[in-house]
Amino acid sequence: MRYGGGSRTRLLLIVLIVTSLFFITLDLRGVSILNGARQGTQAFLSPFQKAGNVVLSPFKNFVSDVTHLGRTRNQLEKLRADNAKLKANLLNRKNADSQLNQLKGILDLAGKASYKIVNARVISQGSSQSFSQTVTIDAGSNAGIKKNMTVLSQTGIAGVVKDVYPTSALVMLATDPSFKIGVRIAGTQQIGILSGRGSRSGSLQLLDNLTTVKPGDVLLARGSVANRPFVPGVPVGYVTSIDNSAGEIAQNGAVRYYTNFSTLGVLAVVVGGPVNNPGDALIPPKPVPTPIPTVTVYVTPSPSPTK
Amino acid sequence: MLTRQISLSAPIIIFIYLFQEAVVNQFKLPGGGFSLFMIFALVWAVISAPEIAALTGFAAGFLMDLSQSSSGPVGQWTLIMILVCYGVSFLGYGDGSINGNPLVVIFFVVIASISAEIFFVTSGALLGVATGSFGQIFLTLIGNTLWTVVITPIVLPVFSFLHKLVFETRS
Repeated sequence: MRYGGGSRTRLLLIVLIVTSLFFITLDLRGVSILNGARQGTQAFLSPFQKAGNVVLSPFKNFVSDVTHLGRTRNQLEKLRADNAKLKANLLNRKNADSQLNQLKGILDLAGKASYKIVNARVISQGSSQSFSQTVTIDAGSNAGIKKNMTVLSQTGIAGVVKDVYPTSALVMLATDPSFKIGVRIAGTQQIGILSGRGSRSGSLQLLDNLTTVKPGDVLLARGSVANRPFVPGVPVGYVTSIDNSAGEIAQNGAVRYYTNFSTLGVLAVVVGGPVNNPGDALIPPKPVPTPIPTVTVYVTPSPSPTK
Repeated sequence: MLTRQISLSAPIIIFIYLFQEAVVNQFKLPGGGFSLFMIFALVWAVISAPEIAALTGFAAGFLMDLSQSSSGPVGQWTLIMILVCYGVSFLGYGDGSINGNPLVVIFFVVIASISAEIFFVTSGALLGVATGSFGQIFLTLIGNTLWTVVITPIVLPVFSFLHKLVFETRS
């Protein structure tokens, strides 16, 4: 039997719907009470997220390993063989080592360009229910972090600070569909706009249709006024394909980010930009192919047997 | 009576919300993962009276709006969850074959979850929220649906027990 519903229920439903529409209107008009509520919630949640991050670190690695099992099977096999003796020790140190490597990469990157940075650990991944790509880091306004500051990973751009709380900050990742960054191609200095697409591949739109771009070209951040939201020279990614259709107004292409967004552990927020533009100094070195040993065999025909 | 039920429900809702934000959100799961909190709210709504379902939807939606990972304006999830929770409760309330059958409850929760996500995308498009390419949205919807199908049967007994505890104990 279906529920018929009474006038009281209908009234309650109408009141709740009107209240939610009221919230939407207030938020779209930028009323600070609702922003305050969000900030208060984040301030309340931050200690729990930090505790959860500490307690769940070993399990997080396990899930990540299982997720990437198919793609890195060969690498895992090799590592398993190499690390068999140290397995017990590594179990406890794996997370710390991974973060240390990321931190080292970030410090190298920031040091080369004279960025002033604040390091932070990722304490929470954003839920995908809202179709956004965010992470929460454990440093906030108390550490000097402000809204719209560049966030770096060990290999390049990771995102931008979207919201700041006293002890944490929300970072919009470069994969977020609403993320946009002005980029230039290293060497040729052609400029364009790169947008997130929800995955590690971004969408590049070049402003000049007459220039030539080829796969493999490296993209760097162009930088913003007063270095916010983006400092100049940060490696972003490399071009994987270009659409040169004659009917297109501007050239479009696909870009693969340098940053691996599924393994973010440590990030750095650039709180002070460089005095001089680092130019193309931060371009990561191209991987050197491992030489494959070749063996040449000379065969000398034996003299034909004589009878 | 209603006041007592709400006061008993509130700590449970807040605990599940904290668990979602502090524990579930720590994992980067394939296919976008799942929202335990949304599953909880939908299960709670399916097995409750419509007015309780609407209130549950309001509270759950408002908390989802306050989450730092929510990309839309405050009130968007609130509106969607009120409508979805009320809708599933309205369809199933008073029908013993629905409330008493776990498979039907799971079916309702999965359908409600997909509906909520689709409402979010469409209303987000109207409100100017960037939700990504069609392919990415499609993959996220598929991933979330599969996770909801997997997780709901596991947590249903716990949520049903809590519901029974709150709504069927005498004051």
